[in-house]
Amino acid sequence: MLRNGPSQRSPNAFELDDVVLVRGGRRILDRVTAQLPRGAATAVVGPSGSGKTTLLRLLNRFEDPDEGVVRFDGADARDLDVLQLRCRVGLLAQRPVMLAATVADEVRVGAPDLAEARVAQLLSRAGLPGFSPDRETADLSGGEMQRLALARALALDPDVLLLDEPTSALDADAAAAVDEVIISLVEAGLTAVVVSHDLHRLLDVTTHTIVLESGRVVEQGPPAEVRYLHSQRGGSR
Amino acid sequence: MNGTAQIPSWLGVATSLVLVIIAALVSWREGLGLTRELVVVAVRAFVQLVAVGALLGVVFTYGGLPAAFGWLTGMVLIGGQVAGRRAKGLPASRRTATIAIAAGAAATMGVLLVLRIIDSVPTVVIPVGGMVVSGTMVATGITLRRVRDEAQRSRPQVEARLALGATGSAAFAPYKREAVRTALAPAIDSTKVVGLIALPGAMTGLILAGTDPLEAIRYQIVVMYMLLAAPALAGAVATRLAGRDLFDEAQRLRPVSVPT
Repeated sequence: MLRNGPSQRSPNAFELDDVVLVRGGRRILDRVTAQLPRGAATAVVGPSGSGKTTLLRLLNRFEDPDEGVVRFDGADARDLDVLQLRCRVGLLAQRPVMLAATVADEVRVGAPDLAEARVAQLLSRAGLPGFSPDRETADLSGGEMQRLALARALALDPDVLLLDEPTSALDADAAAAVDEVIISLVEAGLTAVVVSHDLHRLLDVTTHTIVLESGRVVEQGPPAEVRYLHSQRGGSR
Repeated sequence: MNGTAQIPSWLGVATSLVLVIIAALVSWREGLGLTRELVVVAVRAFVQLVAVGALLGVVFTYGGLPAAFGWLTGMVLIGGQVAGRRAKGLPASRRTATIAIAAGAAATMGVLLVLRIIDSVPTVVIPVGGMVVSGTMVATGITLRRVRDEAQRSRPQVEARLALGATGSAAFAPYKREAVRTALAPAIDSTKVVGLIALPGAMTGLILAGTDPLEAIRYQIVVMYMLLAAPALAGAVATRLAGRDLFDEAQRLRPVSVPT
């Protein structure tokens, strides 16, 4: 299979083919080959420094591979319009970054023409139902900011959401709330790629797992078959 | 000329060395560790000014306007290096600084000369141009430094905008505005207090040369106005170019390192 047009869609949202990424003389990713299925959650796990975040950054072209190919919908990501790609592939960073003064303006950063009703709908979808659009973003808690950042990403109606340790900077309750939103989005058909060193609640919606170690894929498959997760959870799953 | 102050003789200049000795003594007594540097800069200033004075004499006598513009070009090139160095770590900072200073100086001098506000003679073009270039150089240096610092400090914000499909230029726009504002602040402040705190250079020079103060201020007003225009222009050009160079063709923020 060389290149699929969008008409004959590949079952995978992303395919990484023998990807090598070198930074500062170090191989951050070393011959990574992986498939990330569409309409499901893929988890990228592994110890810190194993290249998880870098892999995620390849998917919205914050990085390009030095060797190999990253395909989105069957097409080499480098051949696509990068701005359109980023509208279709949203990113939620580890620490939420607020870009506007009020909640409504924050949701509209990437989509300035959104109607009020749509803003309210997005807030509700991101787990902030009934949230006042006039509230100041500076007054929000970390968990609220992260869900607002999620609403901001959803405003572009992306096909894929990249989640880079989305709850690691949050306390337990806030993390649970964000996870719940992610679960409902995946259940509603969104493709998600979650980088995490502990999957917790997301395990139930994760259909595929990629285990990285020192930039190499050491295991890949359904979570139940991945030994790395067993060892992490004391073999309970 | 009537009313012209007496210019210090070489003996007078030599005697003024007493002032350097006073500064050196203060440094030595207080253990500031600056004695050597004070002497070196005093000698250096002397040599530089004697050389410049001699060269200017030659340019005024034999060079005419082409030499005057050549002189200005030299100042722009040096200013570009100096301002660019202030923003070390920013991609292509020296090239950007040079172009920005050239643009600010050329546009400002162009207006002054084409509208015949100042005379097109070397004795006017070089000193006025020098003021334009040095004001522009300072503003450009501050602008680019601010751009560099913002690019480093605000990387998460910039990347958050890029991740939402923004172009590099749009993602960096809020920081560009701040950079130009910062660069213009000194020019605006000094325009505010002009004449109140210190008599500005051009006016001082004319008064020393015996010009009536009410005539001298006319020159100074023109100088102040040009020192608003040139940095504004240079700052705008510098942020535009630097903003472009900060992003690669895939709209990614390039690595920016702030030297410690």
